[in-house]
Amino acid sequence: MPRANEPIRILTAVPICDGHDSAINTINLELIRYGVEVVYLGYHRSARDIARAAIQEDVRGVGISSYNGGHVEFFAQVVKLLRKEGARHIKVFGGGGGTITHADEKLMRSRGVDRIFFAGTPLCEIVNYVLDRFDVPARGVAAAGRISQDLRISQMLARGVQRRGNRRLGTGAPSVIGVTGPGGAGKTTLIDELVLRQLQIDPYSRIAILSHDPSIVGKGALLGDRAVMIHSQHDRVFMRSLATRGRAGGLSAKTRRCLETLAAIEFERGRGFDLIIVETVGIGQEAVPFDRDLVARTALVMSPEYGSCLQLQKIAMLEVADVVVVNKSDRPGARAAMIEIGQRTGSNGQGPRVVSACAKRHRDPGVDELFSLLIGRQSGARHLVHRAEAQRT
Amino acid sequence: MLDAVVKAVEGFNRSVEREVERARTDAEFGKQQLERWRAIRAEIGHTTTPTGLKLPRLALPQIDEPGEIARHLLGEGLPGEFPFVNGAYRQMYLGSSDGDREAVTPEEPTRLFAGLGLAEDTNARFHYLTGHQRSVRLSTAFDGPTLYGLDSDADGLLGKVGEGGVAVDTIEDMERLYAGFTLGDEHFSASMTINGPAPILLAMYVAAAKRRFGPDVVAALRGTVQADVLKEVQAQNELLFPIDASLRFLGDMVEYTTQHMPRWYPISISGYHIAEAGAMPVQQAAYTLSNGFAYVELLRERGLDVERFGPRLSFFLDCGLDVEYLALARVCRKIWAIGMRDVFGASERSQRMKLHTQTSGRSLVAQEFQNNLTRTAVELMLAYANATNSCHSNSADEAFTTPGEQYVRLAAHAQAILLEETGLFKHMMNALGGSPGMKAVEKAVEEGILAEFREIERLGGVLSAVEHRYQRSQIQAAAHRYEAQVNSGQRPIVGLNRYASNGHVPEVGVVRTPARKQRLQVDRVKKFKKRHAKHSCKALDELSKVVEHGGNVFAQLIDTVEDCSLGQITQRLHELVGHFRPAV
Repeated sequence: MPRANEPIRILTAVPICDGHDSAINTINLELIRYGVEVVYLGYHRSARDIARAAIQEDVRGVGISSYNGGHVEFFAQVVKLLRKEGARHIKVFGGGGGTITHADEKLMRSRGVDRIFFAGTPLCEIVNYVLDRFDVPARGVAAAGRISQDLRISQMLARGVQRRGNRRLGTGAPSVIGVTGPGGAGKTTLIDELVLRQLQIDPYSRIAILSHDPSIVGKGALLGDRAVMIHSQHDRVFMRSLATRGRAGGLSAKTRRCLETLAAIEFERGRGFDLIIVETVGIGQEAVPFDRDLVARTALVMSPEYGSCLQLQKIAMLEVADVVVVNKSDRPGARAAMIEIGQRTGSNGQGPRVVSACAKRHRDPGVDELFSLLIGRQSGARHLVHRAEAQRT
Repeated sequence: MLDAVVKAVEGFNRSVEREVERARTDAEFGKQQLERWRAIRAEIGHTTTPTGLKLPRLALPQIDEPGEIARHLLGEGLPGEFPFVNGAYRQMYLGSSDGDREAVTPEEPTRLFAGLGLAEDTNARFHYLTGHQRSVRLSTAFDGPTLYGLDSDADGLLGKVGEGGVAVDTIEDMERLYAGFTLGDEHFSASMTINGPAPILLAMYVAAAKRRFGPDVVAALRGTVQADVLKEVQAQNELLFPIDASLRFLGDMVEYTTQHMPRWYPISISGYHIAEAGAMPVQQAAYTLSNGFAYVELLRERGLDVERFGPRLSFFLDCGLDVEYLALARVCRKIWAIGMRDVFGASERSQRMKLHTQTSGRSLVAQEFQNNLTRTAVELMLAYANATNSCHSNSADEAFTTPGEQYVRLAAHAQAILLEETGLFKHMMNALGGSPGMKAVEKAVEEGILAEFREIERLGGVLSAVEHRYQRSQIQAAAHRYEAQVNSGQRPIVGLNRYASNGHVPEVGVVRTPARKQRLQVDRVKKFKKRHAKHSCKALDELSKVVEHGGNVFAQLIDTVEDCSLGQITQRLHELVGHFRPAV
């Protein structure tokens, strides 16, 4: 189906062993101003990470900003990986200031790179290229040849295909976890740490992440969660970033359909995703982003700096969350926050569990506790099944 | 802590004004000032220039009023005197008075940053560059994989090995890199631009030196390792381990070098990369100085004595074309000296800011790139007018390549022309210091830096501000502003948005590392790992024990590198302490 009226989505990144992100940050902001949705993968990213993310995110183009040399090989590698997965329709472009010469450019174009911008290119030239080149989705997407599993899922998400209706949200597997909380509480880091634990407990499991970022009014969106995720750039993790596109409440108009599609995905032997995590945008006090049937369990993530007791009374999610996480427990005020939230939620003994965590800390026991509350037990049992399966094969 | 620095600087300024007032109103005190001034003047030697002009070796302002004299002597100090506005040392780059062949100080300020291809290629470049120098001061650039702690044989790195710097995977590469130089010699020093894996690379350096010159060489090693964790988080994005773990490894290294390598500089507190990432000059100065004070605080908390490590801290600033650079380093020296004296109670040796400057890479333009020669020359002049202790001048072709020999030579010679041919710096100290414009810039820059300090303090100090992404977002905002100014033409760049010829960038020779060499390096590290397979596991387990039981990781690394590659060590440390999570 043509989606010409939808915002253009592209992915941008800086290659492996390269931390020069100044140019790409500027270009990202400029593209957003012109209505583009930019999934930003961050710096020091491998060709494999870039190709995987481009396919999962259903982007029309990949922009690479390279300043540390080796661009001829690196760009070609990304093109090659995309083609190998059947995603020839995703075009690769980029630049590297003065480091990419005209001779390099010829070579890179001959290896399938769509466009190289040289030093001194005005920003508007790059914006115009993106707006013109990616205005209409490429025709004949992967018409022929084999396509990868990620590309298949990506296309299903785009079309909204649901396979057999025997999997319903909110009931049974896969387990869908909703993670919400105010901006800056550390939701993304926490999710990345949960993913790491799931992959450690069960290396055969498959995880999906639906992440949301706000659109800027009348403009595009910067979908930047991937840039801070270390463990979720993984062949067994499928991640899709969604812009809210003007919808209030923390999710996108597409969220439900995407979740239903993901829940219906089947891999080998009828197995689906073992775990699906939905992350909302940063929410306000009154928001209750998840409908009851949308997710199995919810976590509300807060940092100790939420303000006063009075503020706490107004937070609606405290009534409905299964677990409340006080993240950044190394910050001053974390203990007081734990006590206050405990008093607020636990008055009738029916309230959510309150967990103190420090997601940035390596092997944080608080995150372990959260993992076992939200996901752990169930996954542990599955792990045994998967191991048995693996032994059989 | 930054609050205390702000108060100390403000207090210092007030006390200077009080003394000025006193010199004017208290006849006895005024007389003392005049007498001191006369004595200083009487002591200054003279020199005769090749044109027959007789000049004083130190230029002083033409003042004879007690208040003004007090303001000069107390407020900025003579070169080498607190608060070191006019220079960290008395003589800096003066030539001898009867000719130009021998400088007064034994050390030339010129540094040449180099790194390309494999270790033997960089080694050859080092020998080429230092052939005619009295003192050998090598400054080493590493390639991307080394900067990120990866071995050359890691997946997906083809094209990156030996690009933009030298590939070092093992102690054997380190031996090749400095072959033919006498490590530990009085006239030899090595500087390494490495941060995330700095302790591992320095351990390789120490171990390689021990292999060649025996264990006694360690105490004689001279040089610098950049190892600036904080600026990596704020600007350069080459950190490997979480901040806490990175700071611990750094602390271990500083502890070791202050005890066993007294002539080593274990941290080069760097504003260069902050400025290159887009920071404005005042931001560069403010973030760099505040990072420096944060290190002092952290190292003291560890129980280290500021008198021991203080003199071993050095600084590295960018010098660009904005007017702030007329006086930026002068202000930095003042603030550092006051902070170290009044907040940390450090003695004079630690108050002196030792500064390395590099001309701005960001100011180089690919279009009509020969203009870069002029840009770099002006920046060099500003750097020396600010009495930098050492300086690297960029090559004109660096806008598009690792520099080729031709432009490296021109860049090095630009410094020789400035210091040896021109009469600006060799005849007298302070030829350019203290002009009204310089003073005006000093005042504005100082106020700007203190305002930044207050903002960082409001966010809870340097580490807390880092966690709030304060420095990062400010640098990014400045970068966007710069870009917008270039695009609109508000910031003129000749050949780009002014006086541009319509032609394309000419194809100039670029320096690349051929695939054949990259494969050779991959092969080397593979063979090393195979050869040491028997011992590497045990060596890594020993390292793990030290990491987990809180011992000195750096001391252990000196053993580990005998059997393990950079990538093997990095990977083990990742397992133990995790990964640095990038900030956007």
